[in-house]
Amino acid sequence: MEVNIIDLTKEFGDFTAVNCLNITMQNGVYGLLGVNGAGKTTFMRMLCTLLRPTSGKITCDGTEIFAMDGEYRKILGYLPQDFGFYPDFTVQDYLLYIAAIKAVRPAVARKRVKELLEKVGLEKAAHKKMKKLSGGMKRRAGIAQAMLNNPKILILDEPTAGLDPNERIRFRNLISELSEDRLVLLSTHIVSDVEYIANEILLMKDGMLVCRGTAEQLTAAMSENVWKCYVEKKSVPRLLEKYKISNLKTDSHGVELRVIAKEKPVSDAVIEAPVLEDVFLYYFGERVGDENAAV
Amino acid sequence: MYFYITLGKGLVMKMLQYELKKIFLKPVNRAMLVLLLAIVLIGSFLAIRDVKYYRGDHPELSGPLAARELKKVQKQWEGPVTGDVLRRVVKENKAINDSAESADIGFAKKQGFADLINLICVAFSEPGKYDPYMCDSISPDKAAKLYERRVSRLEKEISELETGLPGAFSEKEQRYLVRQYKNLKTPLYYEYAEGWKALLDSQYLPTLMIIIIVIIGFLVSGIFSDEFQLKADSIFFSSKLGRNKAILSKIKAGLLAITILYWSAMLLFSAIILGTLGIGGAGCMVQLSFSNWECMYNITYFQEWLLCMFGGYIGNLFILTLAMFVSAKSRSAVLSIAVPFVLSCVPMFLGRVPVLADFMSYFPDMLLRINKFLGDFVFCEIGGTVFGVYTVLIPCYLLLSLVLFPMIYYGYKKMGAVPARAGQ
Repeated sequence: MEVNIIDLTKEFGDFTAVNCLNITMQNGVYGLLGVNGAGKTTFMRMLCTLLRPTSGKITCDGTEIFAMDGEYRKILGYLPQDFGFYPDFTVQDYLLYIAAIKAVRPAVARKRVKELLEKVGLEKAAHKKMKKLSGGMKRRAGIAQAMLNNPKILILDEPTAGLDPNERIRFRNLISELSEDRLVLLSTHIVSDVEYIANEILLMKDGMLVCRGTAEQLTAAMSENVWKCYVEKKSVPRLLEKYKISNLKTDSHGVELRVIAKEKPVSDAVIEAPVLEDVFLYYFGERVGDENAAV
Repeated sequence: MYFYITLGKGLVMKMLQYELKKIFLKPVNRAMLVLLLAIVLIGSFLAIRDVKYYRGDHPELSGPLAARELKKVQKQWEGPVTGDVLRRVVKENKAINDSAESADIGFAKKQGFADLINLICVAFSEPGKYDPYMCDSISPDKAAKLYERRVSRLEKEISELETGLPGAFSEKEQRYLVRQYKNLKTPLYYEYAEGWKALLDSQYLPTLMIIIIVIIGFLVSGIFSDEFQLKADSIFFSSKLGRNKAILSKIKAGLLAITILYWSAMLLFSAIILGTLGIGGAGCMVQLSFSNWECMYNITYFQEWLLCMFGGYIGNLFILTLAMFVSAKSRSAVLSIAVPFVLSCVPMFLGRVPVLADFMSYFPDMLLRINKFLGDFVFCEIGGTVFGVYTVLIPCYLLLSLVLFPMIYYGYKKMGAVPARAGQ
């Protein structure tokens, strides 16, 4: 299974949401990181054939996905960012309906629904109405529907948005478990969601791919250092204006800062090993004084 | 091959089953169904209650009791309404007028042949007028010429309207009308038909049809737009069958909901009324009812019922299919709900504006009120041949409905890959 994104561009009037994207993906978990508005959802919607590109193309094993039509959608599982469902359906009915529109035979669908309900921990909620589920349970039902056709390509758009830390960890583990022998593309702006499970991380900014690699490769590729320092409260505004600060911890005596900079921000700053969050800030973060600060 | 066909059918049935579930599980739709049932029951009750039997000085009877009494007294007048029968009507009417102690008692005694008195009154009144005492003053021999009078009055009416004036008929229309009038098989056969009259001559039938269309409109309006309203469209359209068979299932679910609900409501309404008041008189010509004396359609009560039911169904089908099309294209259930309301109610008011009256006669709401417009002279001319408007409207709107189905299919299919919202 190889998905090729070739010169992919999507424009909405004067606005270019995705700008000449070129990516090749094979089986494995890909984490798509970017701030809100980076073009992640547009890119994913094109991957799901829900949006036609303005130019460029996406191929699956060499064939253009829009030309594959139903044959491509047959191997696709998608959990959108705004996961919509039918509120008066029970979880079981909802999954059986989605299985039907995914062309899963009724007998197979019944078995598959049972398995997936167990896997996502919703077996006790099978006869509960969708509208009665908690946010986390709805997301779990969402991942179950995406897996109904045992997809070769699984696209998850912000699957952990709005979940509490417990649910997020559970979700991460579930995705990791489901990722075997398939291509999983997981979009998020929460770094820890992909840090541990993604084989490769794609960083998107302003519709373009700015960097890709493993978490280690990305941290190694940073051209600036990560510094840890302890400063007085009054000097914080000056530092915030001058540097990208990835962490700020206040106590009664002063403030502990984690600063991304080429040079030492203060004389007693010590160098720290970068983590993925620092990479995120390095690429997407702006200093407080910057216009259009995104983070 | 057989396996794949069976598999396809199984999936299609499953999708259809769930599409119907989506419609009927919605609490608002369930409330609408209860409302529909209540309206049908109330409508039938009111229509039955409108059948009256007057007992002179005693309180009147209504409903099934009245029907039973009317059946008894009308039995004596059952048979072909020949010249001799009409003479007898005039004589009997005069005798009762002369002997009755009061008008109420007199009226009560005339109930067995009141329909025939009404026919004489409407037939011998001046065109456009109705003299309820005409039968009191007419001679028996003149009354006997009822059928000749029907044709001659029409010819007189036509000749008085100069061609080209508003309301005047073209020569072809005149010929068509006279031919239709002359084609009416006379003498008419008279028998008790209160069940059919309560069903077809009342205002409840068209009102019920409008209510049905608005209620079914509520149910089908969300079939397509709900996917977007509920933000379920992405999953729907990214599924294997989401751009073909799943859309067909939605269309089928809409069609089934329209058909089942319309016929259930109409058959229940008809069954309650006819079951209570009786089905006698099904073979009587509609012209026996004085409101349809001038009707150009030579049909029986049963045929009128079929026409009203089938025409109403086609009207419902077209308007509600259009509502589904609006739902599919606009993604808005509100706009879609407005379609049945606008198309069934607004033309009724616009039709009262003289300039628009003719134009409005071709709107689909005409199919919901066939029983009210059956006696009107509304024509269609196709290829030089004149037809009654319903002869043309029914197949036309059936055809338009059939055209709408592929439009819904392809229109909704397109929705699957258009920029629904500017992405991030």
